[in-house]
Amino acid sequence: MESKNNWKAWLYLAPVLILMAIFTFYPLINTFVISFLKDFDYRSGANSGFTFDNYGLVLGLVEKVPGIPESKITEFVQYALPNTFIITFITVPISILLSLFIAIGINSVKWCKKFLQTIFFMPYVTNIIAVGMVFAVIFGDYGIFNNLFGITGTKWVTESASWGNSMIVLCAYIIWCALPYKILIFSSGLQNIDKQYYDAAKIDGSPKWKTTLKITIPLLSPQILYIMITSFIGAFKEYNAVIGLFNRNYTASGNVHDLTTVVYYIYSQLEGNNPHMQIAAAGAVILFAIIMVFTVIQMRVSKKRVHY
Amino acid sequence: MEIKLKDLTKVFPGDKKKGRKDTIAVDDLDVDIKDGELIGLLGPSGCGKSTTLYMVAGLLEPTSGEIWFGDEEVTHLAPEKRGIGLVFQNYALYPHMTVYKNISFPLTNLRVEENIKDEKCVKYAKIIELLKDTKTIVKVIVGSNIDGKVNKSSAVNALCEKYHIASGVSLEIFKLGLAQAENPEELAKVKTTEYQTKLDEEIKKVERKGKKLDKEYYVLSKDQNSDVFKKTLKRRKLSKDEIDAFVREAARIVQISDYLDRKPNELSGGQQQRVAIARALVKKPKVLLLDEPLSNLDARLRIQTREEIRRIQQATHITTIFVTHDQEEAMSICDDIVVMKTGAEMQKDKPQDVYKDPKNLFVAKFLGTPPINVFEGEIKKNAIYVGEDKILTSDKKLKDGPVYVGIRPEGFLVTTDKKATAGEITLDVKEVLTMGRDLMLVCANKNFLGERIKLIVDSDVNAKVGKTEFKLRGNKVFIFDKKTEERIYF
Repeated sequence: MESKNNWKAWLYLAPVLILMAIFTFYPLINTFVISFLKDFDYRSGANSGFTFDNYGLVLGLVEKVPGIPESKITEFVQYALPNTFIITFITVPISILLSLFIAIGINSVKWCKKFLQTIFFMPYVTNIIAVGMVFAVIFGDYGIFNNLFGITGTKWVTESASWGNSMIVLCAYIIWCALPYKILIFSSGLQNIDKQYYDAAKIDGSPKWKTTLKITIPLLSPQILYIMITSFIGAFKEYNAVIGLFNRNYTASGNVHDLTTVVYYIYSQLEGNNPHMQIAAAGAVILFAIIMVFTVIQMRVSKKRVHY
Repeated sequence: MEIKLKDLTKVFPGDKKKGRKDTIAVDDLDVDIKDGELIGLLGPSGCGKSTTLYMVAGLLEPTSGEIWFGDEEVTHLAPEKRGIGLVFQNYALYPHMTVYKNISFPLTNLRVEENIKDEKCVKYAKIIELLKDTKTIVKVIVGSNIDGKVNKSSAVNALCEKYHIASGVSLEIFKLGLAQAENPEELAKVKTTEYQTKLDEEIKKVERKGKKLDKEYYVLSKDQNSDVFKKTLKRRKLSKDEIDAFVREAARIVQISDYLDRKPNELSGGQQQRVAIARALVKKPKVLLLDEPLSNLDARLRIQTREEIRRIQQATHITTIFVTHDQEEAMSICDDIVVMKTGAEMQKDKPQDVYKDPKNLFVAKFLGTPPINVFEGEIKKNAIYVGEDKILTSDKKLKDGPVYVGIRPEGFLVTTDKKATAGEITLDVKEVLTMGRDLMLVCANKNFLGERIKLIVDSDVNAKVGKTEFKLRGNKVFIFDKKTEERIYF
């Protein structure tokens, strides 16, 4: 039976597989190949052979202008990578904890649960650029935030704002945008937990905080792992938040690139009439490697702690 | 602990918009349960027996009525303060915790209030006492060896088992090295004097703080206002050693000591069930509640486990409420059975009495397999008729009128039998089924309510298909009022 119907399954899958081959698998492989080509020209496909220099250039190991050591330093190493790590390690833990907190809160109230769920899901259906503009207004020089705390004149998002201030607003913005989806996943996970475990915990005399810590969270661990992995990946790829909030990649703190993230860096390599396709490809492969390492680490660490 | 339910009522509110009526799950229930008794709540599904149990547990709030544990009203007390153990129908074991953690979880939440003892003194005194018995200690340690080698953990465990001491004390004894010493007695003497000095020093230390110790090493401190020395009460958590001891004891009672480090999903249904009982028992509850605990087990395991439950209950003397819809289960292990129907108590009696002496038609019909045979009958001049057959005459004065006549399957006798005490009834035998020890006859009668009459006779009887006269055993015949369905005694 199974082998007979096999070809049918392939037939049904074919349209998607063909499209994916053209638009996903081929570009993936091609990116990998291009990242090793010297002086790649994307129009003609011409190149001058195999090289590791693209990686060297991205990682600042090779001098851009031969003979001048200072030209080694790239915005990738100097700004893009640190910024991306800062964004990831600030926004991911905070947004997960916050959304877990909110989801457990929503789950434990009895009245207007549906209403609260809708409220907290609103940002998800709102355009990210629109939210960015609202944030820009809130944190503007004369915006609500400054007025509220009586610190008029502090720059947060405008061009003359410091790097630190800009980063704080950027992280807040990313967390805000990340919450609704996580709350949704956690809420549905919480609803799937058998109520009897809570009854049992009550009989066992467990205080509420302990029930949450020792029973709710372990039983929610598959969802937490899923959210952790996807949001780490998402945060490493952060780019549109910078565009949405600032529409530029520099602040007053000096350098013109100090708000760059890894993906921003990759995109900026493609700008202009003569894009550095091979540099962008090398950057993408490095990002891929970083994400892979982190995902593997998370899977390893979680193996013992996640209960299915 | 005595349990009293007074006028207990639970109403689940309906929805007027959708035209759904209120559901009265438990209706004015009054039950008294004696201390140490195992009582069965028996009834068909939806009769409110589980609801009653959850109200006793405190997981459901009664609409009205009172629940008393001994002299204390617990109607509105939180479940954790009631001192109960509850075994859920599907056990509700925490799936992410090992068996050990599952059982120890209630203990980690427990607070005990005790007079403080000086732990060091207690320990030293215990060691001194045990050292008098040097030979046995050496024997136990040497005897615990695995493959001829004395292993620390097995020796410590063996000492714990032998003397019922905490693992800390037993470790200290093991470390004295009595088993390896050339002259254990001599070494024990030296160590005894050592511990004696330690003990004396500790006592002096306490006295320097202005406190005293009594013979059992309870710490006595001076009252603020008077000069009297008193024991000091303190609320505290259980220590790890104590928890460990309790968990192992509970595991031993339900015989799951070998599975302590497994997760629930690695256990069979029966084992999970025992873990659930251990978790309920470990905090030494005053009341144990069991919600259809056997319904997830297969037939053989069910019989085995229900005997187990009885054994554990007898061993621990905990007042137990056992909810079930299975009459055999309730009959076999309960001291008393409460038969329930739509939230109300139908009868409360000893298991055999509920069967032998049903108070109403419902109880008579609910108990017994095959079920009781119910006929349309009539009372005429102190005699009871089913159709034309006069099946009983009574000395009592009975009101004439239609009644229900219930006859147990074993109440029929073939005419030659002399045991017959009542009248006769003629049935049309349709089938004779051999069941080994007995014969089951499937018969018809136009006054019978239902499809087929099932009756059981001795296998020696020569039963044939066709019209047959049966004599009746008077104590197997019950008469019920047609309207109220209450028993009419004759």
